[in-house]
Amino acid sequence: MSTRWFAPAPTLLGLCALALLAALPLALTPFEIRVAQQLFLAAAMSLAWNLLGGFAGYWSFGHAAFVGIGAFAAGLVGTRLMPPELAAGWGMGIAVGAGGLASAGIAALIAFPLLRLRGIYFAIAMLGVSQVAGELSANVEWIGGGLGINLPDAAPDWLAPETYFYQLLLGCLAVTFVVAVSVKQSRFGYGLIAIREDEDTARMLGVPTERFKIVAYVLSALLVGVQGALLAYSLGYFTTQSVFRLEFSLNMIVHALIGGIGTLAGPIIGASIMVVLTQVVLGNLLELHLFITGAVVVVMVLAAPGGILGLWHDYKHHRAARRAGAAA
Amino acid sequence: MSAEPILEGVGVGKEFRGLRAVDAVSFSIPRGSICGLIGPNGAGKSTLFNLITGYYQPTYGSIHFMGERLEGLSTVEIARRGIGRAFQIAKPFASLSVRENVRIGALFGRDGPRDVERTVEEALSLMGLGMLAERAAGELTVGNLRKLEVARAVAARPLLLLADEPCAGLNPAETEEMLACLRRVRTAGTTVWLVEHDMRAVMSISERVFVIDAGEKIAEGTPAEIAADPRVIAAYLGADYVLTEHTRSQLAEQ
Amino acid sequence: MLLLQTLVDGLILGGVFSLAAVGFSLIFGVMGIVNLTHGIFVVAGAYIAFVMWHHGGIDPLLAIPPIMAVLFAFGYGYQRTVIQWATERASIVASLLVTFGVALMLRNVLQMVFSPDFRSIAPAYSFAGVSLGPIRMDFVRLIGLLTSLVLLLVLGLVLSRSAFGRAIRATAQQPLAASLSGIDVRHVYGLTFGLGAAFAGASGAVIGMMLPFSPAAEGPWTLNAFVVVTLGGVGSPQGALMGGLLLGVISTLTAQYVGPAFTNAMMFLVLVLVLLLRPQGLFGSAFGESR
Repeated sequence: MSTRWFAPAPTLLGLCALALLAALPLALTPFEIRVAQQLFLAAAMSLAWNLLGGFAGYWSFGHAAFVGIGAFAAGLVGTRLMPPELAAGWGMGIAVGAGGLASAGIAALIAFPLLRLRGIYFAIAMLGVSQVAGELSANVEWIGGGLGINLPDAAPDWLAPETYFYQLLLGCLAVTFVVAVSVKQSRFGYGLIAIREDEDTARMLGVPTERFKIVAYVLSALLVGVQGALLAYSLGYFTTQSVFRLEFSLNMIVHALIGGIGTLAGPIIGASIMVVLTQVVLGNLLELHLFITGAVVVVMVLAAPGGILGLWHDYKHHRAARRAGAAA
Repeated sequence: MSAEPILEGVGVGKEFRGLRAVDAVSFSIPRGSICGLIGPNGAGKSTLFNLITGYYQPTYGSIHFMGERLEGLSTVEIARRGIGRAFQIAKPFASLSVRENVRIGALFGRDGPRDVERTVEEALSLMGLGMLAERAAGELTVGNLRKLEVARAVAARPLLLLADEPCAGLNPAETEEMLACLRRVRTAGTTVWLVEHDMRAVMSISERVFVIDAGEKIAEGTPAEIAADPRVIAAYLGADYVLTEHTRSQLAEQ
Repeated sequence: MLLLQTLVDGLILGGVFSLAAVGFSLIFGVMGIVNLTHGIFVVAGAYIAFVMWHHGGIDPLLAIPPIMAVLFAFGYGYQRTVIQWATERASIVASLLVTFGVALMLRNVLQMVFSPDFRSIAPAYSFAGVSLGPIRMDFVRLIGLLTSLVLLLVLGLVLSRSAFGRAIRATAQQPLAASLSGIDVRHVYGLTFGLGAAFAGASGAVIGMMLPFSPAAEGPWTLNAFVVVTLGGVGSPQGALMGGLLLGVISTLTAQYVGPAFTNAMMFLVLVLVLLLRPQGLFGSAFGESR
């Protein structure tokens, strides 16, 4: 396996795309840069959700819990535990790392009982986790989610804040993507897919299902926690309302669904389509976003349950079959 | 039998709420052999396999594999030690390709992943699935599904393969093919123990046959001894009687 | 006395929770579909009652029959089109997602029509109350509880006594056998969905008198139904009643003794604990092992 997953051509192509995207802010308006930030964040979140939901088949309806935990852990570390002179630059790195670790730590604590639940019960239990975590953050005084947390400016003087966070979120997306690729191509990834297909059979084949589920869950929480921490810093000031948002949980699922659940490119494709559609095409019709999102979900499930990549796959399959038919 | 046993059970029993599904069954499977396990429906054959693979824990008795006790180990740990299982109801991962199915078997096999791609190729060619490797498992015919089920188990490089009715639902030609595959699996170094309803199949391939009825072992021996055993004939009297007769005449021919 | 008052308030609230959840429970029990549009049915019932009261001066209780009729028709049509397409083409999971998508769309529609603001219905007797010794009960809440209990009883009788109820129960247990014995399974599914929607709508009218509501309340009401069903067990009015009363008491006790901000947290804590300890719900499924 180890020989297969480092493929020079795609890696080179990926690096070129990354370089191009990193240079792009020079040509974009501030509005476009903010849209791109949202896109990167949404794609990274959906990819991280996909590690558990898409590969292992454990659909979480409450991953916003980890966005919020990551944001508040970073916020508390960044404002309370750190001398102000450290707050910019490296201080932010430490706080974001703390966000990821707190998220992963809490995930590890609740993983064992929660992952005994299957299907809709796991999904709803996660929704409960995010609800509980959100209410606690708003109502426990020392967390201070009700009043909000004000983070110090982290961007260096020589870079516009929106460009700075553009680059950070792009980097975050790239890292998340690399993690997802290496998981998918590894023995661990095959084990998760076996769990999704049939957990009991997977166990009979020697897949350590309990351990793999927990690792996937914690890894997913770690990534989402880091993303939540970056979100908090990019917002500057945030409250419970702005990070424990049901929308985050929903969009992670919807974006993966549109692109193709369990694929690598699917969440990125789905996030790109939905962010551009809602922010740019329908940017002035804010009140219609829910309707559009809902309609897209309904149409996708009825017409293309495999997402856009599923459609593309069917199309290629169909053409290959036709060609084979014509040749015979 | 000269070879030492690879799997040995002593007085193995399983009760479900007072019902004795398996009652003090002892068995000894010689290394490198092909053995059969027969018995009427509901006799406890699949339960016995479930006890060996750790899906259930025995209520009493002991099971040794390669000299090591199996009771108390989890299904995953037992699979790791080299007991593979092909299920009665073939359960391939339908949305994955044949190759991916077999690869999962190889990745989680005994001693962890080694030479995965080569193992996958070997398992595919052993079961004659090379041509179908890129097909989705959900599109296969029943015969090929059964082969995939065995291939996935074989890819884990088990020392012992428990095959639960690998020929169920196959036509005579497919059955012959499956038996040939199982012989190749044995030649490649895996001991095979199979449950089978097709008496002709099980008698023709097995070196040693165990018969259980209502949870109890009623006979054990070579196919010829089994075919002549009055208790076995009694247990199978009725629908299978003719078949037993047929088998006996076949064995006489050999 | 405070404890007693809290318990009484909890039981009254719980009765309404039961009515609001029973349709969800029925649909889940019979079809195995987790209907995430359920909260929309509840809120839609409240808005219809609001319109009839605000523009026609019609008492919310009198609005219940027309509300049930409208939602029954909507539920039937919804099941026979979108839901049926989803379950027959894809899977139960697909139906979950479809109901989720439709819920988002309808919430948006409600927001456009009625604005995202909170509304409430306040009939003339709103502020009247009944005192039983030291325990005080609002007249409206008492009426809400009674209405809920009567409707639950009616549904229980329909399911257990009528031919229609027998068809539903037969279909829930053995869809194939039911269709072989001449039951039009798709029609029964449609009727079940209609029935579920109708009772959700009726609960909306009751809720409208007791609590403020907005289009965004659909999410919490769907979750509420899910929790009630998990606590009480799937598929029966009795189960919904047990789960609802339990949830109502948990809710008021938490608000009184822990803090009003923690009711949802406590609700989910109880939910997760129940799921872990008894995945089939505290009181099991009305349809045995069929799900």
